Amino acid sequence: MALKQRIEQQPAWVLHTLPWRETSLIVEVFSLEHGRAALAAKGARRPMSALRGVLMAFQPLLMDWSGGGEVKTLIRAEWRGGQPLLTGRALMCGYYLNELMLRLTAREDPHPQLFAAYEAAVSALARNEHFELVLRRFEVALLHELGYGLALDAGEDGAVRPDGRYRYIIERGPVAMDADGLEWVDGACGEDDLPLSGQTLLDMAADDFSRAETQIQSKRLLRALINHYLGGQVLQSRRVLKELQEL
Amino acid sequence: MSASPSSLDELIDALRCLPGVGPKSAQRMAYHLLQRDQRGAARLARAMSSALEVLRHCERCNTFTEDTVCQRCANPRRDPSQLCVVEMPADLAMIEQTQSYNGLYYVLMGRLSPLDGVGPRELKLDKLLARAGDGSVREVILATNFTNEGEATAHTLASLLGARGLTVSRLSRGVPVGGELEHTDIGTIAQALVERRSV
Ligand SMILES: [Zn+2]
Repeated sequence: MALKQRIEQQPAWVLHTLPWRETSLIVEVFSLEHGRAALAAKGARRPMSALRGVLMAFQPLLMDWSGGGEVKTLIRAEWRGGQPLLTGRALMCGYYLNELMLRLTAREDPHPQLFAAYEAAVSALARNEHFELVLRRFEVALLHELGYGLALDAGEDGAVRPDGRYRYIIERGPVAMDADGLEWVDGACGEDDLPLSGQTLLDMAADDFSRAETQIQSKRLLRALINHYLGGQVLQSRRVLKELQEL
Repeated sequence: MSASPSSLDELIDALRCLPGVGPKSAQRMAYHLLQRDQRGAARLARAMSSALEVLRHCERCNTFTEDTVCQRCANPRRDPSQLCVVEMPADLAMIEQTQSYNGLYYVLMGRLSPLDGVGPRELKLDKLLARAGDGSVREVILATNFTNEGEATAHTLASLLGARGLTVSRLSRGVPVGGELEHTDIGTIAQALVERRSV
């Protein structure tokens, strides 16, 4: 068993909560210095619990916990403030962020850069910034941070040229169409081949999603990459959103 | 546990379907019922099987009833132009206690929860859309909880119902009645500031 330690005043976000026993919750959090952790919040479902209104997703919190096992004991949670609740479409995007975090990050694997990217994404959603851009930026940061080695500005044929045409091969990176003996003819290259312009790749590397083509192509690429790393797990938030749009 | 008789095992296992009941508590409950309260156990068994047999969802408001349409929905003194949407029957009971609402209800029996896989299909939102669009409802009052899931549900319903030409309102939130700012939680005050209204 790992050494029992007490963590204090740790900046953290609630990703998800599950009812546990009669009056408690298991809270999955993502924290600045300790990464993702599962905390037992004892009595948090009692009507008068002070934790009840605090343990909400999409709110910046400071948390104290202790314990050395897989599930720690939450001691205190307080609101850091400064951010309104997410509503509407922003809230739906927030669920998507949280599901990615739950499925792609491991427990007790600290990622301070990813913490910063997550925090920036949630507060951008709260300010109702362009949602698609917020998601793309976060997806790129997530894949980078998890060490999936996203190759954007250079492939095996060298630096990406803005006027070049590429195909993105997962776990290999961008491959120039001509280098592959493939000719770029619109329509001849299916979407599964992940066709991209060099400019899109360079925009993504520079964190600039302002061009329409970059938005469309990066969305398709990132979705394919994320599906690949999810290894067949279905994103519930994506399914629910799709069903809602069909109503 | 494999040494115990199979009907005991089955009872313990069955009790585990209750929320928050793990193997330990299920075992405790089973021993209590069988050892200390056999009459209670028999009553529980009868009540359970009769409830399962006679209870169904009201065709209009979706809450539990023994009839096709529950008494509240069938009451001609209630205003059919207002429909209040709540998550659970307990929420309906709270609003009824205020004695300040005379419209009808729709009980979702849950809330949207994308991370738990609860979407429009699981919540049977099409039933609510049909009910709200039956021609008699003019205003839908969304009284889902002020949690993220309640908010997601309210937002979704607002856009679906609004697109169908209905007036949609949402319960407002803020500092509790009789509440002093000094003793109100910060999150509530912050949200009350965001949702402040002109006077
Ligand atoms: Zn009814």
